[in-house]
Amino acid sequence: MTPLSNQAFVDHLTASVQFVLPEVALVGVACLLFLVAALRCSRPLAMVVALLGVVGAGVIAALVPEPVGRFEPSLAPIDPTGAASFVRWLALVAAAVYVLLGWADTRTDTPAEYHACLLVAAAGVSLVGRANDLVSLFLALEMLSIPTYVLLYLPSRTRAGQESAMKYFLLSVLSSAVLLFGFSYLYGLAGSTNLHVVVSSLAAAAPHKDLDPAVSPLAAVAMVLVIAGLGFRVAAVPFHFYAPDVYEGGPTGVVAQLAFLPKVAGFVALARLLGVMSAHGGGLPYDTAHTLIPLTLWVVAVVTMSFGNLLALLQDNLKRLFAYSGIAHGGYMLIGVLVACTAPPASADQSGSDALLFYLLAYGLMTVGAFAVLAHLSGPDRHVETVDDLAGLGKTNPLAAAALAVCLFSLIGLPLTAGFVGKLQLFLAAFQVPTDTKMKSLFQVLTVIAVVNAAVSAVYYLRILGVLYLRAPFKPAQPTRTSPQLVAAVACAAATLVLGVYPQPFAEQTRKAAPVVAAR
Amino acid sequence: MVPDPVLTPAGLEPAFDLQAYYPALVYAGVVFALAGATLFATHLPILKPWKPTRVKTMPYESGVDPIGSSRMQFDVKFYLIAILFLVFDVELLFLYPWAVIAYADGGDPTWRAAFGPLVFVEILIFLATLGIAYVYAWRKGVFQWR
Repeated sequence: MTPLSNQAFVDHLTASVQFVLPEVALVGVACLLFLVAALRCSRPLAMVVALLGVVGAGVIAALVPEPVGRFEPSLAPIDPTGAASFVRWLALVAAAVYVLLGWADTRTDTPAEYHACLLVAAAGVSLVGRANDLVSLFLALEMLSIPTYVLLYLPSRTRAGQESAMKYFLLSVLSSAVLLFGFSYLYGLAGSTNLHVVVSSLAAAAPHKDLDPAVSPLAAVAMVLVIAGLGFRVAAVPFHFYAPDVYEGGPTGVVAQLAFLPKVAGFVALARLLGVMSAHGGGLPYDTAHTLIPLTLWVVAVVTMSFGNLLALLQDNLKRLFAYSGIAHGGYMLIGVLVACTAPPASADQSGSDALLFYLLAYGLMTVGAFAVLAHLSGPDRHVETVDDLAGLGKTNPLAAAALAVCLFSLIGLPLTAGFVGKLQLFLAAFQVPTDTKMKSLFQVLTVIAVVNAAVSAVYYLRILGVLYLRAPFKPAQPTRTSPQLVAAVACAAATLVLGVYPQPFAEQTRKAAPVVAAR
Repeated sequence: MVPDPVLTPAGLEPAFDLQAYYPALVYAGVVFALAGATLFATHLPILKPWKPTRVKTMPYESGVDPIGSSRMQFDVKFYLIAILFLVFDVELLFLYPWAVIAYADGGDPTWRAAFGPLVFVEILIFLATLGIAYVYAWRKGVFQWR
């Protein structure tokens, strides 16, 4: 019997069309924008059409019912359970914020193309959350990458902008190749491209790893390649070196996107490939019964957060500083991946994956908020490049300075901000992992390293805060008008505070999005 | 003797049988014979008129001068045309399997009932997307050979 004659499979496939309707709407609006771009398109028109597209996709997403109680493993390439809904809303909200941020970058003659690429990238992120197949997962990741190349190039025709676009393009293509190489091993091991089949067959082979040496090394090679390929996306050390250069040269609105969207896609894809964040996990193929993959992730997490924080201390350029800060936060998020994918949780209360999702949300708000302030302050006649350019902003631009300050407090992880709640959840999840596995107390050591790193990071964030409020402005106050970027910045800062003061409903959502996989 | 079929994750498949691959051997034979025949024919005085000129003796008669710096600049319009060509080339590549599989005789009736209309609409959407790309390239002046 071929799989195609299976009625259940046919039903799965035909039903999966309705689960991507919002993404179809986003891409449809993007096509419309390209058509409009072929004629003449003004900046406000492109922005309004793009915003309407995002809102329309949101309405469709709210109207189309998603299956709630279906827990049998799906054979379809699209699986709307697990973290899919959460990632979709994250992508849609982020897209709306980025459309506002794009106001600064669309002074060129290509506003419609800019927003069209933005919508396609958002659809790609949303699809990563619901891809249930190696093929659809890779396509979704490329749907995010390819528009980003164009976006990096469109607004800035400067030398630095071209260098950053070229650098990102070449390294992203390389990382895709590495990722595909890893996928080929996974396919070879499992005999199927379906994520559930891949994960469960690897997990089923896991107990026999010691007996059957033919399975284990290949599975390890596959996962190391996957970690390397996705490590580029999330800018994990040692695959981080493109980030500072690309951030420095790229247009601010696109850099804000680059700081967040690939991280969401990379971490969700990594978690799915490691066997979590789906409603019907097939077990954990790389749990702490063997130390190779957990130890790899452990080392990458430690090196990523330490390198990111130490190098951020040395930066004077704001975008480079936020690039290294993003690398460091990627290290914290890797803790979530590590805990979720290797240590079966003792209770449903704390698992790494819901901490990871919450931290992604918090990180997105505070980082995009900070970049939105930078986008608001820079204009055709004014460039905010270095930390010193922010001197005295508290007096000249109180609202922008306040929004930036809230985001910075959250990035430090001070209480009453989203960053604090996120860090607390991540560190608690790592600290509570039982010590009787082969990893011994390495998770606890990791928590201590992460806490020390969070303290170190306060140095460079506080330096910006000091410049904001304690230094006298170099230039006389330049009144900047209210711009869409400022609206985005204030919204992000406000959401950061809401998330810090009242995290309960969001934590509930992340818990629902990342159901705990039963221990094997 | 044909070996028993083996069960793979994709279903029951015939086992590897070297005899089934004889067309590859025949093909290789034809390739070598053709290459040999061409070499032989080019050295037959009757078939090979010999009127050498400077251009004719170059390794690539109607191509780029093979000697000199390879860092020469090409006009970007060549790349644009090449990319556009690739897009529509790949479009055809997608259309062939669809046309062959979706409506072929002997297909799975369950499959066709479920997917026939769906895949048809999907192909139309695919073509429309490429049409938009074509209109975009056209309006942006890619086809003007300046």
